[in-house]
Amino acid sequence: MGGFKTFLRKEFREIFKTWRIWVLPGIVLFFAISGPVLTAFTPELLKTVTTEQPGVIIQIPDPTFLEAYAEWIGNLSQIVLFAAIIIFGGMVSGEKKSGTAMLVLTKPITRTAFVLAKFVSNLVLLVCTVAVGTAVTWGVTLAMFGEAPAEKLLVSTGLFLILAILFLGVMTLFSSLVDSQAGSAGLGILILVVLSLLGLWGPALEYSPAGIMSASSSYLMGKDPSLLWPSVTSVVVTLLALAGGAFVFSRREL
Amino acid sequence: MAETTTGTPAIEIVGLTKVYGKTRALDGVDLEVPQGSVFGFLGPNGAGKTTTLRILTGLATPDQGTARILGRDVTDVDNDVRSDIGFLPDVPGFYPWMTAEEFLRFSGGLFGIAGEALDARVKALLELAGLTGVKQKVGGYSRGMKQRLGVAQALINSPKILMLDEPTSALDPIGRKEVLDMITALAGRTTVFFSTHILSDVERVCDTVAILHKGTVVTQAPINELKERYGSQKLVLEVTAQSNELASLFSAASWCAGVEHTNGRGLTLTVSDIEAARVAVPAEVAARGLGLIRLEAGEVSLEEVFVDLVGGGQ
Repeated sequence: MGGFKTFLRKEFREIFKTWRIWVLPGIVLFFAISGPVLTAFTPELLKTVTTEQPGVIIQIPDPTFLEAYAEWIGNLSQIVLFAAIIIFGGMVSGEKKSGTAMLVLTKPITRTAFVLAKFVSNLVLLVCTVAVGTAVTWGVTLAMFGEAPAEKLLVSTGLFLILAILFLGVMTLFSSLVDSQAGSAGLGILILVVLSLLGLWGPALEYSPAGIMSASSSYLMGKDPSLLWPSVTSVVVTLLALAGGAFVFSRREL
Repeated sequence: MAETTTGTPAIEIVGLTKVYGKTRALDGVDLEVPQGSVFGFLGPNGAGKTTTLRILTGLATPDQGTARILGRDVTDVDNDVRSDIGFLPDVPGFYPWMTAEEFLRFSGGLFGIAGEALDARVKALLELAGLTGVKQKVGGYSRGMKQRLGVAQALINSPKILMLDEPTSALDPIGRKEVLDMITALAGRTTVFFSTHILSDVERVCDTVAILHKGTVVTQAPINELKERYGSQKLVLEVTAQSNELASLFSAASWCAGVEHTNGRGLTLTVSDIEAARVAVPAEVAARGLGLIRLEAGEVSLEEVFVDLVGGGQ
């Protein structure tokens, strides 16, 4: 794994010195703040609509912290995951395209170390971003609703993270395989659609990563979703995809 | 820096073949680069120079044949070989957010160089590249600055073999001069393997040359030997009076491939049979009652050798 530490250090510096520090964290923080606020003010907004249209009566129960949490998980599972797939689509191929991989990989660093450093740096970015976002959304929820039990938020966000890390692994594979960022992002979105469809089939929901996709919101709604097998298979798929990415990239010509 | 012993060749390529679809980029390349030489790997665009370098650096794999660096097969040893080489691709890609110093430190780190040794090398190489004190990010560099940084990063590990792929092809005359000066400064300190299609660059900095054409090495020799070899097929003669008749006569001779007037009384003959020419020329001059002032082997430029070997159409 020659050169791994040096290259990983470069990856972290790149995150802080380029657009990468703004995009994913920016999106997550935006939803971390706006989610609870929008949830709290939605009844007020709807009341405005009803007063402007006489005869229309909409009765909405007072929102709770659970709805703020559901908004947060909904945004993470849809918009943030979608953005992450697009961003991670160029994580390996971007260096090939710009010619930097050619300069780096003619020095004593293995291609496996190169791919692994890409995965680890993006994993740290993803986990830290979601952790900070979770803390912010918890604080804003507490401020807006007066109560914000941490456990439900932590467990449901943790389940989302398993899904997000699974997609990070899958994008490592696709980005090692396909030269175009758009191409690998397209494949990632295809996998997202396939997992969503698999979620309609009971056995897949119980045993495959498809179960993780709906687990966060199910847990928030007080259901007791099957977590063990979807979590185990998600971790296995993540590791297989990562190993596949390293394998494919090691055999590619640059 | 490189040992200049003559034992194991710095680079040894045998029967190297690489096929892309229906194109044979390399078609049985044989090449031997002696340690300590500044070796010009010359060929027209598309001859297979970059493909050869990509195989040597592990960026591509051959379909057939072997490539050895200091006796080690490039496909077998990976990092072990890469520790001994420095490489500059034809279009080097740098991280635009780094400064030259940051990139050199990063490159050194990949070779496991740290501490005072890294500080000293970075300082020396920034000086060599003329980038000392430049705080600008690499993204804002000119092409010439990038190439100079490219040569500098390729030297960070004090490589035994420095491989440069077309280092001057896209540079203006000043940028070219700067990069060639850097290469000249390395002569005798490391083996330089330098691909290019610019003949004057090879003549200026290289001591040995191989000419690659359509994926095959058509010749390999020290430049002086190559010029001598091809120079012996040129005869320069000067006679006591102008004689167009003599020129016409030589043009028609079976041993003569071309006649060129160099001045009023001089002719440069390109000959296909040097022995026949040596007999016929003095005889024909004497037969016309002219005196022979000078008859000697001609000087050829590398360009003439190149055109002769790869064809004028290139």
